[in-house]
Amino acid sequence: MSNEGIAVGRQMYYTTHTNITSCATNRRISGSSDEKHSTTIKEMVVTDILPEYDTSTIISTSRLTKAFGNLVAVNDLHLQVMRGDVFGFLGPNGSGKTTTIRMLLGLIRPTAGRAILFGMDNAHQLSAILQRIGAIVETPVFYPYLSGLDNLRVIAAMSGMAQGKANDTRLAEVLEIVELRSYEKLAYSKYSLGMKQRLGIAAALLTDPELVLLDEPTNGLDPAGVIEIRRLILRLSSLGKTIFLSSHILHEVQNVCNRVAILQKGNLVKQGNVSELLRSSEQIEIRMNEADEAQQALQLLQQAQGQGLDWIANVTIEANRRERPVVIVGAPAQRSAEINRVLAQNNLFAAEIHPREGNLEELFLEVTTSAAQAGGAHVGMEALAETLAPEMPGGGKRGSR
Amino acid sequence: MSTLPQTTRGKETPAAVRRHTVIMGRQDFLSVVLRLIGVEIYKVRRRIMSKVLSSIAILVMLAAFALIAAISLVITVEPPSTFLPPSCALARTPTCLDHPPTQAELTQAAQAKQNALKSVSAPLRLPDSLTFSVGITNTIGLVLLVILAGTIVGGEYGGGTVRLIFTRGPTRTQFLISKIGAILVCSALTVAVLAVIGIVVGALANFITGIGIDFGFFTGTWALHALLYLLIAALGLFVYSMIALFLSTMGKATAAGVAGALVWWVLEGIVGQVLTTIGFFNRGPLGDFLKAIPDYFIGNNIGALLQNQSQYLSPDQPSTLSDLHALLVIAAYLILFIGLSWWISERRDVTN
Repeated sequence: MSNEGIAVGRQMYYTTHTNITSCATNRRISGSSDEKHSTTIKEMVVTDILPEYDTSTIISTSRLTKAFGNLVAVNDLHLQVMRGDVFGFLGPNGSGKTTTIRMLLGLIRPTAGRAILFGMDNAHQLSAILQRIGAIVETPVFYPYLSGLDNLRVIAAMSGMAQGKANDTRLAEVLEIVELRSYEKLAYSKYSLGMKQRLGIAAALLTDPELVLLDEPTNGLDPAGVIEIRRLILRLSSLGKTIFLSSHILHEVQNVCNRVAILQKGNLVKQGNVSELLRSSEQIEIRMNEADEAQQALQLLQQAQGQGLDWIANVTIEANRRERPVVIVGAPAQRSAEINRVLAQNNLFAAEIHPREGNLEELFLEVTTSAAQAGGAHVGMEALAETLAPEMPGGGKRGSR
Repeated sequence: MSTLPQTTRGKETPAAVRRHTVIMGRQDFLSVVLRLIGVEIYKVRRRIMSKVLSSIAILVMLAAFALIAAISLVITVEPPSTFLPPSCALARTPTCLDHPPTQAELTQAAQAKQNALKSVSAPLRLPDSLTFSVGITNTIGLVLLVILAGTIVGGEYGGGTVRLIFTRGPTRTQFLISKIGAILVCSALTVAVLAVIGIVVGALANFITGIGIDFGFFTGTWALHALLYLLIAALGLFVYSMIALFLSTMGKATAAGVAGALVWWVLEGIVGQVLTTIGFFNRGPLGDFLKAIPDYFIGNNIGALLQNQSQYLSPDQPSTLSDLHALLVIAAYLILFIGLSWWISERRDVTN
């Protein structure tokens, strides 16, 4: 299959999955709280999803949930990561990112739902799954009384690699990758935070895994180290590795990831291609010469929105850096000329009109804030349904927002 | 836990080929366990704490034999006249001497000196040096091994390295078996090394006494019982280490395992004495019941097994407890501690 074919196939998969997820979500929300009914839906969702499952899916979670007592850390999570993805996993502190990663790695048992990695259920075939994963979970921890090299030797043996000198070349390779070769004999207890983090990455790469799971890999790294990690991620991606990257540094994620998922209080509030998600948050900025003109433009465009220009998502007024009012129109960049035409037809002439490209930071703040306002973890399903709506074909939901 | 059907079977994503520099070992259950035991022993060997503990154990063993040697030396340099009955001028006893010692009495005194020397220095020579060194191992070795066991299990949880292990492929069962295997190897090595050190140091110190070692006792049967004796001593260390393993697994800390196992060991002795004493004064069914309780303590059963073997090594009385009883009690404790550790380990969420 050509690359294009794979891309189309993936897109179809994502779309189908999103539909099923949203459908199941809505059913559960609108349905009764009867346990039997809920179970039926749960089974239906999985059996509906699985026929779409193909061997290019690396991670697939279905209704993955973890509760610690009354606290729902992760709620009904559906994630899809495909082979070759650099998948950004975002969310504020306490949103359930690390809990999800721990569930994927079998460190934590889910309260409900399942995680399928490489087509294998991690509740039953964890060992086989882990042999294909390299992971850093939070701050990497090693044996302080061993040197960096000896720590890697120990990890190599734990990972099922042959003992003795058979893997010395590989150990040297990974130490070279993270630039710790000259410190390999130094005791781990004497490593700086950045060196510890890099040793963690070396350990994750040791078995040349297909999936690299990195939980905040740039913690403790200086700017040069952060850039190095970014390069490393891109290099691994070019080698065909699948990267699952949990990070707070949104700029980094935007630079390296092709897909992202955003968690808020344990709920998935957004998942999709970075470019598509950013496109959905595209805006056009209009500066008028006078403040009253800006107000007129606002009213005009709001009216136009109500009278058929349904590609306008919203119209607001903000003050720019020079404290001048600017009109912000939620619309794709290619609609700039059309907006200009509408304004001109009404004798309003913009001094400046230009697209304001969305960034992940804004998107992140937007979705996490709106999800928080929607009512937190326990009503998160509505927020999920709402936020998934723009990705649905037809965009029916979007129009109603 | 999900009860959803396993519909993904047969749809596993084919594994990618690893780089040629990555050489994987055998992946069957036993090979993984053996490799992990090797890793555990390597880590034990590289810990400074293990070296300190081993040094302490060897020093205690040397000190114990040095003490026996010193007492023997004192007896050796004493003139034979010291072993004569006291003069009646100093103490009026039925056997006191009221005359200058005769040649026969001096010969008797020399014989008494020799007997005293032989008796005091007996732990320096085989077969007694074996039981003496195992006796020391059963105290100092036990304390040190419990510390080691608590550390190699609790340290993984306390330091957070447990998640490093659990995310590399071995199952939790393999993790636990490797820890148990490493402790078993350490128990056997502790007993074997300390016994050999004790026997060798004793034999060297025995030169002071000038008493030759009579190897008349050494037969095939004796060697077999000596081996069993050493294995039982190792079993004793292993059982208490399993308490440390269980408690450090449960408490996710070294201190929990070490303190718990040592308190258990000390309390067994005290509680056993108290129950026996109460039972002695309280005749009747309750007294018998109380007196019988210590028969189910670990220490008493390990002691019984050792005693039942030591009768073949040097003149001794067998224990009132049979080997079968003792083995069953020990097995019950092992199943309990290992079983609970496994259960906790399997069910636990690793959140640290």
